[in-house]
Amino acid sequence: MEHIRTPKVEQVRLMDRFSNKSTNGTLYLTATHLIFVESSINSSTAAQEIWILHHHIASVEKLSLTTTGCPLVLQCRNFRVVRFVLPKERDCHDIYSSLLRLLRPVSYEELYAFSYNPQQNDQQREEGWQLIDLRAEYERMGVPCDQWQLTDVNRDFKVCETYPRDLYVPITASKPIIVGSSKFRSKGRFPVLTYFYQERKAAVCRCSQPLSGFSARCLEDESMLQAISKANHNSRFVYVMDTRPKLNALANRAAGKGYENEDNYSNIRFQFVGIENIHVMRSSLQKLLEVIGTRSPTMSDYLVGLESCGWLRHIKAVLDAAVFLAQAVTLEGASVLVHCSDGWDRTAQVCALGSLLMDPYYRTIKGFMVLIEKDWISFGHKFADRCDQLDGDPKEVSPIFTQFLECVWQLSEQFPQAFEFSEWFLLQIHEHVHSCQYGNFLGNNERQREELQLKERTHSLWASLLGEKHNYLNPFYNPAYNVEHPVLEPSTLPYHFKFWRNMYHQFDRSMHPRQSILKTILTLKDKSAKAESTLQALENRLCQLGVTPVVTSDPAAPPPSRDQRSNPKALPPRPNSLILGAPVNHKEEQRRVEEQDDEVGEEALENTDTERTVEGSSGTESRKQSYDELEGTYNELAKEEPAVVSLEFGVARMTC
Amino acid sequence: MDKQIGAGAGAADGAGPNRKPRAQGTGSSSNGDGLDSPTGSHVEWCKQLIAATLSSQMTHSAPADPNRENRVSKRLPYRNLPALRYGAQLKMSQNEVPLLPGENVHITVKDVMYICPFSGLVNGTLTITDYKLYFIGVEQESPFILDVNLGAISRLETISVPNQGENTKGLELVCKDMRSPRFAYKTEENHPDVVKVLSQHTYPLTHSMPLFAFLYKEQFPVDGWKVYDATAEYKRQGLPNESWTISKINSSYELCDTYPSVLVIPTNISDEDIRRVAVFRAKHRIPVLSWIHPETQATIVRCSQPLVGPSDRRCKEDERFLQIIMDANAQSHKLTVFDARQSSVADTNKAKDGGYESESFYTNVDLNFLEIPNIHVMRESLRKVKDVVYPTIDEAHWHSAIDQTHWLEYIKLLLAGAVKVADKLESGKTSVVVHCSDGWDRTSQLTSLAMLMLDSHYRTIQGFQVLVEKEWISFGHKFSSRVGHGEDNHSSSERSPLFVQFMDCVWQMTRQFPAAFEFNELFLITVLDHLYSCLFGTFLYNSEQERTAQEVQTKTISLWSYINSQPEDFTNPFFVDYEHHVLYPLVSSRHLELWTAYYARWNPRMRPQVPVHQTLKELLFVRAELQRRLEELQKEAAAHSLSSSSEHSPSHTGTPLHSAV
Repeated sequence: MEHIRTPKVEQVRLMDRFSNKSTNGTLYLTATHLIFVESSINSSTAAQEIWILHHHIASVEKLSLTTTGCPLVLQCRNFRVVRFVLPKERDCHDIYSSLLRLLRPVSYEELYAFSYNPQQNDQQREEGWQLIDLRAEYERMGVPCDQWQLTDVNRDFKVCETYPRDLYVPITASKPIIVGSSKFRSKGRFPVLTYFYQERKAAVCRCSQPLSGFSARCLEDESMLQAISKANHNSRFVYVMDTRPKLNALANRAAGKGYENEDNYSNIRFQFVGIENIHVMRSSLQKLLEVIGTRSPTMSDYLVGLESCGWLRHIKAVLDAAVFLAQAVTLEGASVLVHCSDGWDRTAQVCALGSLLMDPYYRTIKGFMVLIEKDWISFGHKFADRCDQLDGDPKEVSPIFTQFLECVWQLSEQFPQAFEFSEWFLLQIHEHVHSCQYGNFLGNNERQREELQLKERTHSLWASLLGEKHNYLNPFYNPAYNVEHPVLEPSTLPYHFKFWRNMYHQFDRSMHPRQSILKTILTLKDKSAKAESTLQALENRLCQLGVTPVVTSDPAAPPPSRDQRSNPKALPPRPNSLILGAPVNHKEEQRRVEEQDDEVGEEALENTDTERTVEGSSGTESRKQSYDELEGTYNELAKEEPAVVSLEFGVARMTC
Repeated sequence: MDKQIGAGAGAADGAGPNRKPRAQGTGSSSNGDGLDSPTGSHVEWCKQLIAATLSSQMTHSAPADPNRENRVSKRLPYRNLPALRYGAQLKMSQNEVPLLPGENVHITVKDVMYICPFSGLVNGTLTITDYKLYFIGVEQESPFILDVNLGAISRLETISVPNQGENTKGLELVCKDMRSPRFAYKTEENHPDVVKVLSQHTYPLTHSMPLFAFLYKEQFPVDGWKVYDATAEYKRQGLPNESWTISKINSSYELCDTYPSVLVIPTNISDEDIRRVAVFRAKHRIPVLSWIHPETQATIVRCSQPLVGPSDRRCKEDERFLQIIMDANAQSHKLTVFDARQSSVADTNKAKDGGYESESFYTNVDLNFLEIPNIHVMRESLRKVKDVVYPTIDEAHWHSAIDQTHWLEYIKLLLAGAVKVADKLESGKTSVVVHCSDGWDRTSQLTSLAMLMLDSHYRTIQGFQVLVEKEWISFGHKFSSRVGHGEDNHSSSERSPLFVQFMDCVWQMTRQFPAAFEFNELFLITVLDHLYSCLFGTFLYNSEQERTAQEVQTKTISLWSYINSQPEDFTNPFFVDYEHHVLYPLVSSRHLELWTAYYARWNPRMRPQVPVHQTLKELLFVRAELQRRLEELQKEAAAHSLSSSSEHSPSHTGTPLHSAV
């Protein structure tokens, strides 16, 4: 608390990002959060609250004083951008300097995870950490088996300190081979198994680049690849995927690193994939955020900006690589070795996405957690550096994991029935990768996590997510689809790559769609469940009264009614709101003109009143003059969920 | 399109379940990228695309099928044929060309090569009927089928085919629906020329032959010509009333030959004055009512430009006419004129005897220019879109290529303009007059889009048909000239895809309000396909007068007959009638996207989206079932004189599930 000089500022205005609207309220600064509470317009409506975790703030900027006050702009890692205007410059400066200190913790102990207490006892906490068991996961894949074994060579992190303790290697790879190979690989990250495709006995292995320079060889490393190749009887060769662009790999050669020479390794097929490095990705996302932050871009600005920032092109490159991997394994039955430079960024992306394409298990909620735990956390994706958890080198920060989540989202758009989870699950994971509220993503590798004693001192995100699993279910999920299509074959044509509005505009209410099919389906499911329980209750009551209900339990199911027009009851119920996750607020039903969104209760449907309702923003100048009078309406409607934790807006509150 | 489903289904039927052996042979277990497998025809793709859109055909609850290829082929015949019960093509045996009632084969040529942009040459037989061009590959097991209705062909072009021998000729069919299939064929002395026969039936009007719509003999249980009755539609809007009357002044098309016979005009204006106004408006298209707001009585009025000319001519009757229109709406003392054109173009028009309403002569009139470019710009823009999506897509420059076409920019302008019109009425409670130059292109686009936003009736299947019949067909959008039905004048500057653009805007709205429209994407695509096909009389000719003279309603079939005979296939399962809701789409760049399901559907790599509608259909079914049982139980409970105190009484809402909230 010693950094907080001004804990409370009144009369603060929160400016809307894409319009001229604003909300008045009070700003509170606590040890963990910056909180904005809207001053209630009337006592009957709950006030809007925005909670911003300090760890989420990527940057804070104080702009020069204007006639209305002193603006303070916060950019968050979850892509929230808020702009406050504080009446006094001194308050603004106090908040600004406090935040500057608070958002750059210097030691792990300062992170929220160490103080977060969700009121669980130690046993629950322990159970939470035991939810994901990677040994069980390898067993599920079918290893150890006659060709692959668990090795204890890295039991004390001696061979490779960024790898986990448990590693799976071919039976024929002896310890000297492993140790020799690790010496020839950058950061000691030698080839190990990450996914085993049981059907064809093909393996996906990962490692870092070889220290080959222009001509160096390593017999142990060559035997290691030979061993991987021999473990698979389906194919005479192993694919070696270098996920870097060829130019980068060539440049690395000059530094004594490089790539495998096909002449030295027997039975390999070498392939460059061309995913750009972390620096390119970082600046690409930066450009994307600039493009989408423009207030009213012309069509040209937007399209050209979207293309020139390259973000979607990079997403496509990553997915292309994953598709290549999945096809090599499933169609050709060949084993694949994937690496980039250090084997913890692009390699993690490609291995994880490739496995996701091949194995329906990873497309379930639990399976996706396992996948992240395996390919990202245990294999040492440097979350601390990439997500800037401690005040570190800005050049190490890069949205590699975000990119992975986006790839998964793009896939879920192409295969809506294949994923058990909805996009809110991905968004929630993204939220917590940056929130430092749970221990899972802290630190850079398993060794560091053990030193921090995270399992004893923090909680696991997975337990919390599983606890509210129902919030993350994808209503379109159809397990039968995955049985029919165990391997996904996405198209990577450019128009399949869409801008992920709910990620990058998650907190920009005006950017949300007017109506959502997801919402309709969820409402419908909800209502069906309720009807079912009513039915049950009625039946029970009849039973109690000694009446046997007419046998209706299993009528010969007619096909779903074709002619809906003749059957108005077959119309889906109207969702409580057209906006994703917006709260039901019956007070707003009477509003004649709803500027940004609408809340329509059931009554509107059932009554035959002729009240007209306006949906959507006219977006025209002609309405400008009416903004002022509508401001009150808008502010109220723009409210984030006050009482109930809704999915997308609950995020901020769940981090409290 | 629907024809192709029929045709494809027929073919699949004949071939049986073991189709596509080659795709299996390559180990590609998927219906994967068409470019890899030579049999992966894009017709197959399109059928799947449409099958996917046709949500009712898709079942995902089918048990796991180890052979996915088989499933696709099974699905097409068994699911599609009964779906499109009406209007499907008939086929006698496997090798025969499926024909429509009234359709005749004119020439069959063997050993024709289809030049596929992805898989090279496909050898097969080409058949030309008076309705379509039908190509079937020689491969017995899974023949490649290409089915192009002749109406979709814009021009026939000779192309060179190297390395195919001397007497081989190449032919490219440049189509209006964004594709250009190419063929190579051998010419022989004693054979009739394919191109000649093709050209004859592609351009029947040029060769003094009837359009196929007049030969088509299908029977539909529903008569689509009854969909639109102008008087009934105006009655629905609450007309006539004290200010507006349904006039017969144009019943014989004497006042204006491009207007419908039924017009709604202000009550207190004499026929004499109207004739003077007609003289002052381009093509005599006087201001008439299109839509009236049920509450405020504010109106959408459409007309053509006033003939002001460089000398600022005035017409007292016209000025008074607008004054009366303004006075008919007591809520506002203003009238807003939306001139769809760019102001600079309007000025040019003024110099050429056209012009616009001067605010100094027309008191209380606000004049706004919507700055929408003309039909020539739109034609060019869509041509560029075609280059972007067919036959290959430049992956690295997708967005900038889309940008270069400016198509989305114009969609944005148009939607923004329509929102302005709708907003003026709804929030400003002010009557609006919309015109462009002649009042039959951009004016139709704007009025119909604004009406779609304002009036939920037009968002139903039948209502939308009324909207198209009214604002487009009856008010003389020159479909014949803009589309070029059956005429060999592909370079005519009269052609322009204004209606396509309108449908694109509708699609953009359905994207933003997925539950507000009763029709689905297939409906939009089907309407667009029959805009070109000349199978139905709906879009033929330029005006109501011409249509009456040609006896279109008695001699041809309406597209709406076809659609309304099987509405379930065109129904959006998510539809909830948002009655009395005014829908303003967001017109910011972030919310508009290219309609690839339509424009890029012939791209062989186009992949159908996995449908999610089925999930909803199943849920609806479960719900209906629950509801039925609930009602039964309640009846029973009542019968046992248990007070049905449960609040789930279905009687008052019709949907008891709502009250569970």
